[in-house]
Amino acid sequence: MGAYLLRRLPSALVVLAIASFGIFALVRMVPGDPVSTLAGPDASPEARAAIRADLGLDQPLVTQYVAWLGQLARGDFGTSYRIGGSVKDLVADGAVNTIVLTVTALLLAMAVALVCSVLAVVLDNRWVNATLSFGNTLAIALPTFVTGLVLILLFAVVFPVLPAGGTPPDGFLARPDLSVQYLLLPAVCLALGAGAALTRFLTESLRTELRQPYVTTARALGISRRRIVLTQALRNALPSAVTVLGIQFGTLLGGAVLVEAIFTWPGLGGLIEEAISGRDYPLVQVLLLLSVMVFVVIQLFTDVIHAWLDPRIRIGGAA
Amino acid sequence: MSESLIDIAAPEAGSPGSPDDQFDHRRRPGIWTALRRGKGLAGLILIGVVVALGLLAPVLAPHSATEQIPGANLVGPSGAHWFGTDEVNRDIFSRTLYGIRTDLIVVFLAVPIGAAIGILVGLISSWWTFTDVVAQRLFDLVLAFPTLILAIALTAFVGPGLRTVFFVIVAVELPVFGRLTRTSVRTVREMPYVEAAHVVGAGSLWQLRRHVLPNSMEPLLVQLAVSMSVAVFVEGAMSFLGLGVRPPQPSLGSLIRDGVRNMYDAPFFAVGPLALVVALVLGLLLVSQALAEARRA
Repeated sequence: MGAYLLRRLPSALVVLAIASFGIFALVRMVPGDPVSTLAGPDASPEARAAIRADLGLDQPLVTQYVAWLGQLARGDFGTSYRIGGSVKDLVADGAVNTIVLTVTALLLAMAVALVCSVLAVVLDNRWVNATLSFGNTLAIALPTFVTGLVLILLFAVVFPVLPAGGTPPDGFLARPDLSVQYLLLPAVCLALGAGAALTRFLTESLRTELRQPYVTTARALGISRRRIVLTQALRNALPSAVTVLGIQFGTLLGGAVLVEAIFTWPGLGGLIEEAISGRDYPLVQVLLLLSVMVFVVIQLFTDVIHAWLDPRIRIGGAA
Repeated sequence: MSESLIDIAAPEAGSPGSPDDQFDHRRRPGIWTALRRGKGLAGLILIGVVVALGLLAPVLAPHSATEQIPGANLVGPSGAHWFGTDEVNRDIFSRTLYGIRTDLIVVFLAVPIGAAIGILVGLISSWWTFTDVVAQRLFDLVLAFPTLILAIALTAFVGPGLRTVFFVIVAVELPVFGRLTRTSVRTVREMPYVEAAHVVGAGSLWQLRRHVLPNSMEPLLVQLAVSMSVAVFVEGAMSFLGLGVRPPQPSLGSLIRDGVRNMYDAPFFAVGPLALVVALVLGLLLVSQALAEARRA
């Protein structure tokens, strides 16, 4: 396993390195200037130059980039120009909220997908299949902002049983029951699309799996269909589902931007919007880099889990 | 295992030249008949209704998109105003009909443009190893960003507006189609008949046009339908975040956002636009599913 990870690491690092420079250069190409937002419209040229030198923006791009990398390596993420405070704290605060939301949604989606696909395959009943397929198409077709609004309208406006948005006032650990209430609507909203896609994929893989000769053999030996699905087909169908899960996690993080806006959830989505519109270079860089890093790490993780579940990849090396 | 994943992108091997194909040399039947029944037909009807409503907006709408009607402020649905009126006295039904047009531009113009460029880049770059590697890494990089984060970043360059939505859609779809085309090219060029064409002296361009492109058509069509439904979603999401069309121009997404702003005073506001968004996305999704099923059959 370690050897496999080691083999995959270089290409991931190359993508990260290219992305980090790309982001660094791109952020500085955005029209607008942090100096003018900081100094105000009436600042004298001398004052502006002083601020520019203070931020290190008068240096050549490559010098700035190398300095930034050095900072990152020392764990210093810089100071936000506009919001003030260290980038590390700002990002950490937002990240906690976003991660709680995304991971909850992912777990929900996984649970729903497992239950629904196994049910569909084990029962193999016309009505069950039709219902699941209809619900599935609907869940994929409903855009996130539509389900979010319908959920808020239903459970916060018409039947006011759940909060319409925000995070629990004292953090997630203080009152678990309250946290569940706050998490429920946004997490369901975020999980719906991913859950549906995952269910569709897993059901299809299970069906394919059940047409394999080993299943016929097992049936001939008198093992029940349910037992074959649970003990053998599921295990064989899981590796490719993990790949889809990895892709879905990326989609979830993107969707989180929107869900956070709908449910006024103070996560990374709002932070990134604020940072870009304020030309807050240090904050934007770290956030965009984080987004690419998450993507790369997920891809790596997916491949490793894939290899763990399927020995052929581990040994063959063709991943 | 992963066959099903590969299958999505791999073109149908060896379909030209099969006995059923003798009378139709262009394309094997099946994929188009899928649109004449069941899911495909239902999807086409849904799309058709929404498109017709949008195209006929000047005829059907009782008011213009920006006309302010004196004395009608946030009134509920009635015979005069089917969807009610908004906070500055505009007829929501009329705005919704005109708003569809914005989405139609995004779906039927931006997506095909992004797809066309992506297919072209995919076809040409994948023919040589060097350009192939460069193009694939670039595609990877773009795909590494979640769509909405890309949208927010791009808005910083060009400001909010329909143009930005257009750019985002093109930027997101280009690598998707580029990569799909690349998979097809890689598969098809290994086929004996392409090799044979090469041997008898066919040029790269001729091979691409005559063999590779027609054989990549079906997966690309399925992806086109999927991408179009995603485009409706992206337009809505961007308008929702305030990155989309600028007021007073309506779009389905911006109407939904206005509806949310007035949710407590006028819960009826967003219902019409919401229903249309769902109809359009559902229609495109049904078509894509029907096409995909016909391909697999």
